[in-house]
Amino acid sequence: MALITNILNNAAAVAKGMSVTLVEMLQPTITDAYPEGPAKLEERYRGVHVLQRDENGLEKCVGCFLCAAACPSNCIYIEAAENTEEGRISGGERYASVYNIDYSRCIFCGFCVEACPTDAITHGHKFEIASYNTSTLVYRKEQMLTPLPADFKPLVVKQEAPSAGH
Amino acid sequence: MSTSTAAPPTVVNFTVDGRQLSAPPGTLLIDACKRAGIEIPAFCYYEGYSLQAACRMCLVEVEKMPKLQTACTLPVMEGMIVRSETEQIHKARKGTLEFLLTNHPLDCPVCDKGGECELQDMVFRYGAGESRFTEIKNHEPERQWSPVVFYDPARCILCYRCVRACNEGMGVGALGVTNRGVVSEIAPNMVDHLDCDECGACIDICPVGALTSNTYRYKTRPWEMQHVGTVCTHCSNGCKTTLGVRNDEIVRGNNRDRSGINGEFLCVKGRYGFDVSTNEERVTSPMIRINGKLEAVSWSKALGFVAEKFRSVSTAGGSFGVVAGPHLTNEELFYLQKFTRAGLKTSNLDHARSGDLVTLLDALSGKTDALATSDDCYNTKAALVIGSDLSQQHPFLAFQLRADVRHHKANIYTVTPGPVREAKYSAQSIEVPVGGEFDALRNLTETLKGEQELVILFGDSIKGQRVRDLVEWASGLGIPVKYVCLVDYSNSRGAMDMGVMPNLLPGYEVDPHPGMSLGQMLSHETLDVLWVVGANPLRGKTLASKQAFVVTQTMFLEETSERADVVFPSASAYEKNGTVTNVTGQVQRLKAAVRTMGAKTDLEICGLLAKELGLAVEIGVWSHDVVFKEIHKSVRGYNVPLPILITGGAAATNPVNGRVAVDVRIEDIQSAGDTLFTSGELGRYSKLLTSVPEFPGALYKR
Amino acid sequence: MTFTPETEQKLQAIWSRYPAGRKRSAVIPMLMYAQDETGQVTQEMIAEVAKRCEVTPLQVEEVVGYYSMLNKQKMGKHHVQVCTNIACLLMGGEELWHHTTKRLGIGHKQVTADGLISLEEVECAGACSWAPCVVDGYEYHHHMTIEKLDQLLDSIENKVQ
Repeated sequence: MALITNILNNAAAVAKGMSVTLVEMLQPTITDAYPEGPAKLEERYRGVHVLQRDENGLEKCVGCFLCAAACPSNCIYIEAAENTEEGRISGGERYASVYNIDYSRCIFCGFCVEACPTDAITHGHKFEIASYNTSTLVYRKEQMLTPLPADFKPLVVKQEAPSAGH
Repeated sequence: MSTSTAAPPTVVNFTVDGRQLSAPPGTLLIDACKRAGIEIPAFCYYEGYSLQAACRMCLVEVEKMPKLQTACTLPVMEGMIVRSETEQIHKARKGTLEFLLTNHPLDCPVCDKGGECELQDMVFRYGAGESRFTEIKNHEPERQWSPVVFYDPARCILCYRCVRACNEGMGVGALGVTNRGVVSEIAPNMVDHLDCDECGACIDICPVGALTSNTYRYKTRPWEMQHVGTVCTHCSNGCKTTLGVRNDEIVRGNNRDRSGINGEFLCVKGRYGFDVSTNEERVTSPMIRINGKLEAVSWSKALGFVAEKFRSVSTAGGSFGVVAGPHLTNEELFYLQKFTRAGLKTSNLDHARSGDLVTLLDALSGKTDALATSDDCYNTKAALVIGSDLSQQHPFLAFQLRADVRHHKANIYTVTPGPVREAKYSAQSIEVPVGGEFDALRNLTETLKGEQELVILFGDSIKGQRVRDLVEWASGLGIPVKYVCLVDYSNSRGAMDMGVMPNLLPGYEVDPHPGMSLGQMLSHETLDVLWVVGANPLRGKTLASKQAFVVTQTMFLEETSERADVVFPSASAYEKNGTVTNVTGQVQRLKAAVRTMGAKTDLEICGLLAKELGLAVEIGVWSHDVVFKEIHKSVRGYNVPLPILITGGAAATNPVNGRVAVDVRIEDIQSAGDTLFTSGELGRYSKLLTSVPEFPGALYKR
Repeated sequence: MTFTPETEQKLQAIWSRYPAGRKRSAVIPMLMYAQDETGQVTQEMIAEVAKRCEVTPLQVEEVVGYYSMLNKQKMGKHHVQVCTNIACLLMGGEELWHHTTKRLGIGHKQVTADGLISLEEVECAGACSWAPCVVDGYEYHHHMTIEKLDQLLDSIENKVQ
C-alpha cells in the first residue's frame, strides 16, 4: 500500500513540476534570438547618441558645452562657431563645428542628455560599436546627426535664439 | 582704489549680521562688508568708479531706517546695526531679479557670459527663475559697434558700468545711455559705431553678456579654458594679463582677477594683441640663404652653419655686432650679453634705445627713492608729463593718473608738443614744440612749488644734458620729486639693466672695453657678423657692411631677415617663461601660455649656439630659472623678494644709486612713437590691431 | 550752426548764467530754445549745444533721448499738450484728449498735414489746481472744457488764415 501511495505521490510531483514546464511552453518566449535576430531594446535604452534636428532641419545643438561639462568621463569634445546669415547650421547664434564623442570612454550615463538645454543630444538604440581599432570609437558629429529625410524641404522661417520663456 | 583712502585717522564702529566691524569714516557699507568677508551683491556698484545706485541689488536692512537701504551709497556710521541677509532682503532681491529678467533673454546656453555671469549667479542664489510676467519680451537685434565690440540690447541690465568705465576709467566717453524706461539702451558715440580706444574695458566690466568681444565670441566657455597669468609685452607698462587658453590656443586676454599692478586695466593690445602668435606668416623652421633665397633647413644644420661662421670670424679676428630686441626677457638679455662679452669677446652690443635712463640715474646719484613706480603715479598729489602722449604710448600710466585725479584730486600738468587727452582733466596743459619744454617749465615753477610732491614723467625729447637740466630744475622746487623715464618696449628697462649696451655691464657698471653702439654697427663698413635677436634694426635703415654675415632670430620675415643669411624662428612672449621689467622698474614673470610648432625661445637658440661653439660651460645653462638665479645674485637692483615674483606680483627693482660715468650717445635715443594700435614690429602682424580704427589725437602720427 | 538773433540772445542769456566748468547745466534750456526755432532737435543742433556746453555730443544725445519735450522729429508750429494725468483725468482731461484727436485727426506726437498743430498727451503739466489743463507752446489754459478747447484750436487755425 505504502508503495502505491509512494508511486502516486511521485507521479503527482512530476506532473506538478511538468505542468509548470507545459504552461511555460505555451507562453511567448522571452529570450532574444540575438545575434541571429534583432535585439529588443526598451524605449529608454541608452545607446550611441543621436544629435537631433529641429523642424526646419537645422541642428538643435547650439554648442553650449554643457554636455561636455556634465560628462563624468570627459569624453565629449566640442568646438563652437558662429552662425552666419549665409550658412546657418543651428537654430541659435552658434553651433558646434566639431562635436566628437569618444566611445572608448563613454559610460552611457545619460548626464549629457540631462544637461542639454535644447534637447539636441539624445540616446539612440545603437550599441554594436565594438571595434578592434579604438580610433574608430571617436564618433564625429556627422556620424551621430540624424539624417535629413530625402524629401525634406526646409521651412523658410527665421529662427530666434531658443528662449525657454519663464 | 577705494573711495576711502583719504580718510582721517578715526574709526567708525558698526555691526553687520551681529559682527562687530570697524572702518574709517566715509567708507561705503558695501566696501566695509566686503573687507570683512560679507558679500553684498551688486550689479551697478563698481569699486573705483562713481556711484550709480541703479540696480537695487545691494539693499540691506539698517536699524532705525524704515526702508531698505542701498549699501553701495550708504557710508558707515557709528553704532549702525545692519542686517544683510534677512527674509525681507531676499524678497527684495528676488523681486529685483524678476524685474531684470522681464526682458533679459534666457539664452544662457549660447551666451558667452554663461558660467561667469553675475546675473546667472544671482538668480541661482536668490531663485527668481519663475516669473509672473507673461508679456512677450522686448527683443532688439544684436549690433556690431566696432571690430571688437558687439552689443546685445536685450541682455543689457542697464547697470551703467560700461558707461562709467569708458568715461572715468578710460577718459574716452564713447558710451552713453539713450532713451528712458523700458526702451533705454547703451549707445555708442557715433550713432551706430564706436570711435574709441577699443580697449574692451566695457566688455570685461559688463556683468552680463550684453557686450561681447569679437575675438572671443562663441569660441568656448569659461570653464573650458586654462587661465595663464602673464605680462602683456606690447608696451613698456607691463600690465598683467590673464590669458584664456583652450587646446593650446589663446582665446581671450583679460585681467578679471584684478591681480598685478594694473588691476583690471588693459588696453586694446593687452586684450586682443595676442593674435600675433598665431599669424600664419610666422617663421616655423630655421632657414639658410642658398643661392640668394632663404630655404628651410634642420635646426642642427642651421646651428652648425652659424657656429662654423662665428668660429672662423672669431679666429680671423673679425668684428661681431649683436643687436637685441627690447621685447626679450631679462634672462635672454642677460644670457645674450654674457654670450657676447664672454663668448664673442666683444662689447658691440646694443638695443633700440627709447629713453635716457642712464643719464637720469647719473643725475640722480646720491638721491634715494627718486624713481617712481606705477603705484606712485596713482598716489601722488601732483604729476608732470613732459613730451609724451601718455594715453597713446603709456596707457596704463595714463589710467593711473586719471584714477589719481578721480580718487585723490591730484593735479596733473602736461607739457607736450600736441594736444593730449590728459588736457581734459589736467590742472594746466601747455603745448610747446619740442625743444621749448624748459620755457614752459619755468612758467610752471611757481605753481609747482605749491605742491606737496611731484612725479615727473618724461619722454624721449628730454635726453642727455636736458635730463640733467630737468633734475636741477626739479631740485629747485623744494618738494620731493620722483621720476619716470618713459621707454617704449616691454623690456627696454630690462635691456639697460642687463647691460645690453656697448658701454655698460649689467647693473650699470661701466664696461672697461666699450664697443660699438647700434648706429655705429650699422654704419661700420667692414662688420663681419651682425647677430640680431628679436629686433628689426634694418627697418628704414641700411647696413653699410656688404660682407656682413647676418643672423636673425625672429618671428616674422621682416626687413632685417630679408637681408639675413640665417634665420632662426623664435618664440613670441606668449610662448616664453622668464621675467620682464616695466617702464617703472617693476619685475614681473612671463608665463608660457601656448607652444608653437617649430619655434624655440631666444634663450634656447642662444644656448644651443653656445653649445655648438663649445661655450656652454663658460656661459652657463640656458634655463630661465638658472639664468634668473644668476641675475638675482649678480645684477645690482635685482635682489628682489622672490615670493612676490613667484606669486605673479611685481617686484620693484632698485637700480644703482651712484655715478654712471659714461658717454650716452643721445642721437641713438629715439622713441618709436607707438600709438594704442601699433606695437613696434609686432603690431602689423596682429590682424585685430590693424583692423581697428584709430582714435584721433595721436601725438606722433607717422 | 547759426540761430536767429532772438534765439541766440536767449541762448546766450542762459549760457552766461552758469560759471565756467559748469556750462553743462545749460544743456536742457538751450536745447528747448533751439527747438522752439525749428520745431525739432537736429543733429547739427546737438553738436552745437555740445560744443557750447563743453560736453560730448553723446551726452547731449542722452538728454534728448530722455526728455519727452525734446523731439527729434519735426513738430507743428503750435505744440498742443493735453494733460491726462490724475488730476486732469478726474476733471475730464481724457475727454479733452479724445476730442482733440478726433477733431484734428492726429494722435500722440503727430502733426497735422499742414504742419500747423502737433499734439502730445503729457504726464502732468504742473497745473493740477486748475485742472484740466491744456498747454499751447508755453501758454497755459486752465479749467478747460471742450468748448474752450475748440475756441483755442479755432483761434490757432484762424490766426494763420
